[in-house]
Amino acid sequence: MTRPMIHEDPTLPVHAYLDGELDPANALAVEKRMSTDPLLAAECERVDALQRLMRERLPRQAPPPGLRRRIETAVGMQRPRARFAQTQFSWRALAASIVVTAFVAGSSTSMFLAPAQSDLVRNGVVDAHIRALMAPQPIDVASSDRHTVKPWFNGRIPQAPRVVDLAKQDFPLVGGRIDVVDETPVPTLVYAHRKHLISLTAVPDTGHADSAPVLSVANGYNMYRWVEDGVAYWAVSDVASADLDRLVTLFRTTPPDQ
Amino acid sequence: MTIVSLHRRDAFRIKERAGGPGEIAERNPRIDDGQDDAPGVDDHARFSALVLPHLGDAYSLARWITGSRADAEDVVQDACLRAFRAISGFAGGNARPWVLTIVRNTAYTWLRKNRPSAVLVVEDLEGVEAAQANPGDPDHETPETALIAKADAARLEAAIAALPASYRETLILRDVQGLSYREIAEVTGVPIGTVMSRLARGRDQVIETIGRSAS
Repeated sequence: MTRPMIHEDPTLPVHAYLDGELDPANALAVEKRMSTDPLLAAECERVDALQRLMRERLPRQAPPPGLRRRIETAVGMQRPRARFAQTQFSWRALAASIVVTAFVAGSSTSMFLAPAQSDLVRNGVVDAHIRALMAPQPIDVASSDRHTVKPWFNGRIPQAPRVVDLAKQDFPLVGGRIDVVDETPVPTLVYAHRKHLISLTAVPDTGHADSAPVLSVANGYNMYRWVEDGVAYWAVSDVASADLDRLVTLFRTTPPDQ
Repeated sequence: MTIVSLHRRDAFRIKERAGGPGEIAERNPRIDDGQDDAPGVDDHARFSALVLPHLGDAYSLARWITGSRADAEDVVQDACLRAFRAISGFAGGNARPWVLTIVRNTAYTWLRKNRPSAVLVVEDLEGVEAAQANPGDPDHETPETALIAKADAARLEAAIAALPASYRETLILRDVQGLSYREIAEVTGVPIGTVMSRLARGRDQVIETIGRSAS
């Protein structure tokens, strides 16, 4: 039995339009068609509402803790200690032991030298800021509307950042982007201040207690770092430290839903 | 002219993306269980770079297919083992659809073995799809946009969970995981036209369920 009606269904292009699957000419044709057909326009509104609902209400879930480790053990990336007792020498065993050693060394290093991790993050945040300034545009999503920026993050990373509107205080929101810092995708908000850009990166950090902003300088950029509710915030910019300080204070004291 | 012809199947073209049908076949997972050689360090590095970054997506998809967190963990672990054994056969390109294909197939195999009653829904797809009413039908219940926006997470999750498995996986791959139509076609092994109709029906059904439970 064939189902020709599926292909005749006039709503399919509306879905493809909302999914960004149409080329510009066809997208335009769908827009035209919706402007004259209220049924299609209504379908577009409903599907758009559902997509927004799913983005807002179904945040991505991080996999349960320990799953990654169990999988690494299962594929032999973390060998149980008994396997070390291999007497037969082989290049494969040597290679495997290098992997294990690297892992053990890596984990113990981070245990004893906790600040090293923080340096890694600091460098990552600065690198991302520099890279953003050199790219054709410093943001992945361009919007001054925090109601657009926050949902955009929701669909892409486990935890969307707190987004506040500081346009009235002369720090308009330019948009947001996703940076990769220490192998982890993290959200970055971009604010503008008198033609300068400020990157505000939120890195999940459950290992540190809440702390007040501390100023530092890296690569000629002023940076403030503080920890709040398990998130380490990094503000990076070439604006004067007093201006950056003002943004940090405003960001910390302005409630998101105001 | 163009507007009228949009009714026809081939009047609107999906944006061309890299990779023809041949490449897709090439990138399908090849499971090689008879491999005698112990895995090399290269395989571990490839596994770290290609599979592990998609663990969150893998877990999320498995949870939506199985409907259970505990089952999803088992499925993901099993799927990762399969991906690891097949990693040398991965032809390159975007690893995410490849990983999700393995997760999806593992999840259905797992369900068939452990909860055969749940799979009935999967195998009865053709019937379900043929029996669906045309979404363009004016008698269709069409809740207000405002009503949709007000639905809470629990109601939304229940509406999605109530979908036939094929609609549910398509909807999740598109609206939660952000895959393109072509990638969804690749993961679920159906033509793009089927992806589109499943997506439209799935969304309409969720919208309808939300509207019904709200009134």
